[in-house]
Amino acid sequence: MKNDRKRTFLLITIPILALFICFNTIPLIRGVYYSFTNFKGFGSYDNVGIRNYLDLFTDARVGKSYLFTIKLAVAATILTNVVSLILALALNSKIRAKSFFRGAYFLPNILGALVVGYIFNYFFTYILPAMMKMVGVEAGSILSKPSTAWIGIVIVCAWQAIAMNTIIYISGLQTVPEDVYEAGGLDGATGWKRFRYLTFPLIIPFFSINMVLSVKNFLMVFDQIMALTKGGPAQSTESISYLIYNNGMAGGQFGFQSANAVLFFIVIVCISVAQLKFSSSKEEQL
Amino acid sequence: MKGIKCMGMAVLAVAAAGAITGCGSDTDSSKVQIEILQYKPEAANYFETVEEKFNATHDDIELKISSPNDAMTILKTRFIREDYPDIIGIGGDINYSYFVDADILSDLSDYPGMKDVNPGYLNTAEALELVPTEGTYIMPYVANAAGVLYNREMFAEHGWEIPTNWEELNSLCEKIQSEGILPFYFGFKETWTCLAPWNAMAVELTPADVTKQVNRGETTFTEEFPELAEKFLSLLQYGPDDPFAYNYNDACTAFARGESAMYPIGSYACPQILSVNPDLDIDSFVMPATEKAQDRTLNSGIDLGFCVTAECKNKEAAYEVLDFLYEDENIQDYLNEQNAVPCKAGDFALAPMLDGMKDFITEGNVTDYQDHYYPSEMAVDAQLQSYLIEKDQDAFLEKFDKDWLRYNRDIIRLVAEYEAEQGADK
Amino acid sequence: MMTKTKEKANWPVMIFLILGLSTIVFPLYMTVVIAFKQPSEMTNSISGILSLPASWSLANFKEAMRVTDFWRSLGNSLLITVITVVLSVVLHSLMGYALGRNKAKNKFYNFVYLFIVSGMFVPFAILMMPLAKQTAEMGLGNWVGVILLYVVFYMPMNIMLYSGYLVNIPVALEEAARVDGATTWTTYWKIIFPIMKPMHATVAVLTALAVWNDVMTPLVIMAGTAQNTLPLAQLNFQSQFGTNYNLAFASYLLALIPLLIFYLVCQKQILNGVVNGAVK
Repeated sequence: MKNDRKRTFLLITIPILALFICFNTIPLIRGVYYSFTNFKGFGSYDNVGIRNYLDLFTDARVGKSYLFTIKLAVAATILTNVVSLILALALNSKIRAKSFFRGAYFLPNILGALVVGYIFNYFFTYILPAMMKMVGVEAGSILSKPSTAWIGIVIVCAWQAIAMNTIIYISGLQTVPEDVYEAGGLDGATGWKRFRYLTFPLIIPFFSINMVLSVKNFLMVFDQIMALTKGGPAQSTESISYLIYNNGMAGGQFGFQSANAVLFFIVIVCISVAQLKFSSSKEEQL
Repeated sequence: MKGIKCMGMAVLAVAAAGAITGCGSDTDSSKVQIEILQYKPEAANYFETVEEKFNATHDDIELKISSPNDAMTILKTRFIREDYPDIIGIGGDINYSYFVDADILSDLSDYPGMKDVNPGYLNTAEALELVPTEGTYIMPYVANAAGVLYNREMFAEHGWEIPTNWEELNSLCEKIQSEGILPFYFGFKETWTCLAPWNAMAVELTPADVTKQVNRGETTFTEEFPELAEKFLSLLQYGPDDPFAYNYNDACTAFARGESAMYPIGSYACPQILSVNPDLDIDSFVMPATEKAQDRTLNSGIDLGFCVTAECKNKEAAYEVLDFLYEDENIQDYLNEQNAVPCKAGDFALAPMLDGMKDFITEGNVTDYQDHYYPSEMAVDAQLQSYLIEKDQDAFLEKFDKDWLRYNRDIIRLVAEYEAEQGADK
Repeated sequence: MMTKTKEKANWPVMIFLILGLSTIVFPLYMTVVIAFKQPSEMTNSISGILSLPASWSLANFKEAMRVTDFWRSLGNSLLITVITVVLSVVLHSLMGYALGRNKAKNKFYNFVYLFIVSGMFVPFAILMMPLAKQTAEMGLGNWVGVILLYVVFYMPMNIMLYSGYLVNIPVALEEAARVDGATTWTTYWKIIFPIMKPMHATVAVLTALAVWNDVMTPLVIMAGTAQNTLPLAQLNFQSQFGTNYNLAFASYLLALIPLLIFYLVCQKQILNGVVNGAVK
């Protein structure tokens, strides 16, 4: 019986792993190879050794994009997870028209980037300043100033991402058995206490998944940048993915940006492994 | 388990549907196939008509033209797969320079239609080669022009005159402002729109080959650009309060609604403006950035040209297709639809919004966009936006010089090698 | 079973949800209004953009359907999305199960788990060119290739989700079945797979969402096949020098409907969780 179990697991793992290696690992290795060349994405190219990697550390634009992206990711992750956890609890509680609410709160995620970009550009450029004026604050568009443009992007990122994180939290809340609450109810645990000591520990796996996914998605932010600012004003909102795509694919820096992508990959893996280690140690404590 | 069965059925049903739609039309193998991939999706309708007309009149060649969006990404991915279209339609910009350098295109010197092309635009094409290369690799088809668009009706109503030099432009703007109207609208939130006035002024205030001079180490931008940078910045005072809040679309809408008298952008913006206000009477004039009127030149570059790829198996058939595209009637159709400037010499009717530029076009007094020589990854457009926001000319020029050397490192090396070779030959 | 009718709705929560809805209703209102307007009705004034369209004609929707070759593009999008979702649910849940059950005590499985999950962090831009080349060499420069790539792209996230879900499913359930002589394979399909239903629904929604809106993969992989997915066809509304927002918005609204229906169907499954379904 034990052997059957072992064999089955191997038979499942090997082919799927092979598929993954074929379409993820092998192309990645080819990409890493390009990072040692001055390949433009087409035509002939030369090997340039580690020049691209040395350049990365002297390129102010790359450094700036890392700082911006990390700032954005931290702010958006916190905002998204706080709001979606509250939303998931609300949508999971005893309310009328549950399907309607769940459907409605899911909408931001399916609106295409063009629509989201247009509407939020309009909102930040015309509507928000007008609303500020009504309460007596004279302010221009927050997207037009290098010091505030990132806030606009955080808002839109969170607005779109909340739907997905909420779904994951809701499905996590389904694993919390009703009798835990019943037992807890007898001890008088209500409100915040009930959440903190009964619900939350049980959905920690989902909390850590959401944290990892949010951090990853926001670190790789691209669509929202394209839709809202295209890296401006004054290059203050160039995310790492935006640089990699724009200069590597659309521009002629494919080799250099491949090096950037390799570095970026290593950075995110480190961050995520740290996150996963941290949360799995939390899980074990329970 | 029921769920799986349902899903299985769904997959089968969808797969069957896909198989049905997937079977396209069978192609006749006796005909020569020529595929054109051109990068202007806005001209898709025109090319659809051309494709139909061509196929209806030619028995031996089957022409297929695709006009996808994001064609540059598609082109580059097809190049890496070594799946080359026979003819590609691209603009005369740095991508063309790269493609020539990568030996992707074939020499068109033996194409007889070449002699009909306006020599000004052939020179433009030659100049785009990173290092002088023997042969011609692009057939310029149409050009666009950038200067200043203005609201003809508003100008007539107030009796404003078209400015012909820098001083007149400034006094005109003062006058317009004093009448409570906004002279210019800007959409500088979208960085590429910063390039429009910049280019239009650059062709008049700097040598046409300034980037090549820098590549040869003969001069620097810090030396060549101060006047340009200063005049460029001074335009801001005649625009909206916060020009970095508005994007291209906002600016087009505002100009269409009569919120400003002028809009410094290329003729390519007219369709978008007219879609908002079809009755607007738009005309244009050449950017008057110089002290003397006669020093002006029109900023115009190749908007669309055709290149035959080196991999094209049947050059004769490709040339036959080019012949068809260059028939006067077809070019005129394109001009009518896209308000473009023809690169073929001849008597073509131009769109009314080009009235103010007509003389420059017929005289051939045109100079290519300077940004066609800028590597896109250097993001000069974003640097211009930063400069307009921070208003620090020294820092801007210093960064421009520094970045230029860095982003053009490989090109500069190529140029140096080429020069050394030339020197040795002498 | 609890009788839901007798329970009182939680009104403070509902008021909170209704207030929050304004952040969704407002953008949606703008989308709908713009989708019905003509380009000549577009302005930069707030009252102008929020006003109702001059007429509620369906002309924009018809034109958008014509431009995108709607039914055909929809067919392609559906084909790709449905097959991807089914493959993901089947393969990723299996893999999630194999890894989730073993990674705590077996180094090999733990390594495979981390190896695959770290694949999530590879920037697509670096894979794009090599993949375009590789799929073409393998004769997969078509929708089959796109589906295979999606199955690989979303594998890390989905495996994470499945193995996270398994943490709360006791191994005792399987052991009971094993005592009855069932193989691991049948135990999986008979017991574990049905228990994971809420997670299947979640994975299906998330995968469908990502696939449905994705432009880059089909753009790069299917370039030149003359086959369009809906997002690819929708690119027709934008070009550098002009965007027809009215047609685009109409088209996006149309594209949104199938996914919304799919979500509403799935979310019922997410609701009927472990508690009510399996552990009894």
